[in-house]
Amino acid sequence: MVYPKTITPHRDQSVNDMLKYLLQRLFWMVPLLIGISLVSFLIIHLAPGDITTTESGFDPKASEESRQKLREIYNLDKPVIVQYGLWLQRMVKMDFGTSFASHQRPVFWQTKDKEGNVTPGMIQEALPITLLINVLSLALILVIALPLGVVSALTQNRAPDRAITLFVFVGFAIPGFWLALLMMYWTGVVHDWLPISGLHSQGAESMNWFARALDTLKHLALPVFISALSGLAGISLFVRNGMLDVLHQDYITTARAKGLPENTIVYGHALRNALLPLITILGLSIPGLIGGSVIAESIFAIPGMGKLFYDAVLMRDFPVIMGILTIGSALTLLGNLLADIAYAWADPRVRRGVMQ
Amino acid sequence: MLTSCGKTPIGNTVDFSVEYPPEDGGTMIDATRGEPGGLITMIAGEAAASAVAQNIFSSLLRYDKNLEFEGELAESWQVSPDQKTITFKLKPDLKWADGKPLTSADILFTWKLVTDDKTRTPYGSDYKLVVRAETPDARTFRVTYAEPYAPAVNSWAGLQILPKHLLQGQDINNTPFARNPVGSHYYKLEKWRSGEQISLVRNPLSTQGPARIERLVSRFIPDEASQFLELMANNIDTMILNPVQYARIFPARPELEQKFGLYKELGNSYTYLGFNLKHKPFDDVRVRKAINYAINKQELIDGVLLGLGEPVSSPYKPGTRWTNPNLAPYSYDPEKARELLRQAGFKDSNGDGILERNGKPLSFEILTNQNKQREMSAVLIQRRLKEVGIDVRIRVLEWASFIGRFIKTGDFDMVVLGWSLAIDPDQYNIWHSSQQAPGQFNFIGYNNSRVDRLLEKGRMELDPDKRMKIYHEFAQILQEESPIVYLFAGYGLPAIHKRIKGIDNPAPPAGIGHNSQEWYIPKPLRRTEISQ
Repeated sequence: MVYPKTITPHRDQSVNDMLKYLLQRLFWMVPLLIGISLVSFLIIHLAPGDITTTESGFDPKASEESRQKLREIYNLDKPVIVQYGLWLQRMVKMDFGTSFASHQRPVFWQTKDKEGNVTPGMIQEALPITLLINVLSLALILVIALPLGVVSALTQNRAPDRAITLFVFVGFAIPGFWLALLMMYWTGVVHDWLPISGLHSQGAESMNWFARALDTLKHLALPVFISALSGLAGISLFVRNGMLDVLHQDYITTARAKGLPENTIVYGHALRNALLPLITILGLSIPGLIGGSVIAESIFAIPGMGKLFYDAVLMRDFPVIMGILTIGSALTLLGNLLADIAYAWADPRVRRGVMQ
Repeated sequence: MLTSCGKTPIGNTVDFSVEYPPEDGGTMIDATRGEPGGLITMIAGEAAASAVAQNIFSSLLRYDKNLEFEGELAESWQVSPDQKTITFKLKPDLKWADGKPLTSADILFTWKLVTDDKTRTPYGSDYKLVVRAETPDARTFRVTYAEPYAPAVNSWAGLQILPKHLLQGQDINNTPFARNPVGSHYYKLEKWRSGEQISLVRNPLSTQGPARIERLVSRFIPDEASQFLELMANNIDTMILNPVQYARIFPARPELEQKFGLYKELGNSYTYLGFNLKHKPFDDVRVRKAINYAINKQELIDGVLLGLGEPVSSPYKPGTRWTNPNLAPYSYDPEKARELLRQAGFKDSNGDGILERNGKPLSFEILTNQNKQREMSAVLIQRRLKEVGIDVRIRVLEWASFIGRFIKTGDFDMVVLGWSLAIDPDQYNIWHSSQQAPGQFNFIGYNNSRVDRLLEKGRMELDPDKRMKIYHEFAQILQEESPIVYLFAGYGLPAIHKRIKGIDNPAPPAGIGHNSQEWYIPKPLRRTEISQ
């Protein structure tokens, strides 16, 4: 594509504007984050009970005096707003604190003591595995949903379109845990094709790296498949509708009139424009990448973020809950920003809109 | 080779019911629902932690198969004539798994830890009653109490001894030792794969002699159904079944019964319906008794547990010495229930099927937490109470809210909850009238001076036979007063692969695992293991 020459002198100017815009957005994230954290802090403290009611709350051997002592150690006896102040004080130094339960393990990242013993952080351990599953499943969704959406649009209201729509909606509607259990039974008990749960086989330590990677992939196959299946419907319908919009526009008619080959029209002209809204969707799904599904993680015995968060909520383990919420909200804001930037990068019309 | 997932390729052709002589080695894999945070039980306090830690750490005393005390680290123990001093004599030549000697100094160190105000444990109170702890020599540990304290003996069976040489100067609350412990029991930690599994290997320096099985692996599988699939696929050797799996699925699948032995052991807790005795009309014993008579316990056992449980009539394990053999559960007798309610002044004056007194209908809410067995029990109770003219609504709550919002504040009419079937008979914290402050355990508000006196006396009496009489009388008063309705005690239902031999069946009161160090896996029956 050839740009009109008059734009070139404005280029430096527009980069500067872009930077200014970026800094502005980043700056406004700070008060937003503080607001979000304050609201979440207040809400989780609204729930009755605290760590001393959950951890040993109903063991007659645990006395109320010792529980009161624990509440004082954790500052749970102070007013909520004071507790929030203490938490914010730590967060300013990027200190996520230590869990109330679980031997005070660090919430976010590992710590090292004087003797060099490393205690791994809870989020540090859970995050990579959840990310891996979510990235794999997002990739799988895109790989399958894009062609499905295009085919759907091209065969609108004919048999292939109907079949694809039916398929993705069935995938969307099927309860994941039920299908997961059936698949586990079929591929793990009836046939010896895939492992049932967990991440590694017994004796995985002694395998070479290739066998280990293969072993992990086999363990991840079902969880990734199940989580991708429910995501197909959204993306493929999105692509389908985007394509349909674009295919009815004048420039496509023009391209057809010029006698361009159908493939060039569909993939060269139509699809590129139809994919633009997908950027927003992907940007919005960034925070989703760090959230796992509690049910899937429990069924497949995967130690991911969903289970970590769920257990923390049940245990009223405030530092862990707040740690995950903070990281999640920061990522949400960042994801929005990235989506906007990517949009501006991909679409000159939006770029001009941002600058004004 | 790449497809080997630790399965026996010949799985279906091996006859697992053949008997073999005992031999060492092999791996037993089990599944637990939760992962422990750490393995120092005085800090962790979770069931998942103690299940693993009990294979690693030893206590001074333990319970034998009939739930009587015997020495674990202690060779003997003596109670002084005034019943205030207990002297423990350690077995000779005890060693930690790292080869360092285990002496009375370690026990003193552990006692100091558990009573230290900086230690974040809720379990310190029993040990804080010790006014003097001393170590006259390396094999003797002596504790003195201000006055005789019978649960003390039990408390020393519950305190897992920690190594002084590794923990001195460390902050017990977040020491890395919790995830890399060194103990003195049959097993030691081999590898802890976070979020996945813990494996233990035999400790050659075990203070209790050698165990037979070489390696114990506990996989963390939170979902019951997934555990069961792993069991069916022969990837784990044992799990605790639920009644449906035990009584319905297993009998329908002969290939499972071929491979797995099913066992029954006495449960560790009982389920009850508790009244708020401070609320009217539950202060009236006739109303409590009427409700007790109106509930059909056998129906609950059959419906909720598929028959896999038994009724109880005292808060102790049936078959142990603390259970009063003369007590029987309240029978199911709706006629008697109606009669008692009539005597208490209730009648249906407006014909809506619900009884009233002074215009106030017998209409309550049963609270319980998200626990399938308790929810189902509440539903059956609701129906039976309706038949005698009591209207009941059910409300199911999340645990922390239930405890924090309703139990602590005393804001409830009836609850369905569970208490453990205690091994030590002391129930002071649950039934003594002084234990009613918010957060304490007599939240139903039970207040009986005779029971108070018995509980105080029982705490001061270390002689088992005299203690037994005290608690038999205590259970009898509870039975007459009916401050709670004992519903049932469910069985523990382990399924264990038949490759594991040496299991004591039927299980003694201490449960199926009491002799697990003697269990063995004959070589021909083992899984093919990838050699290390």
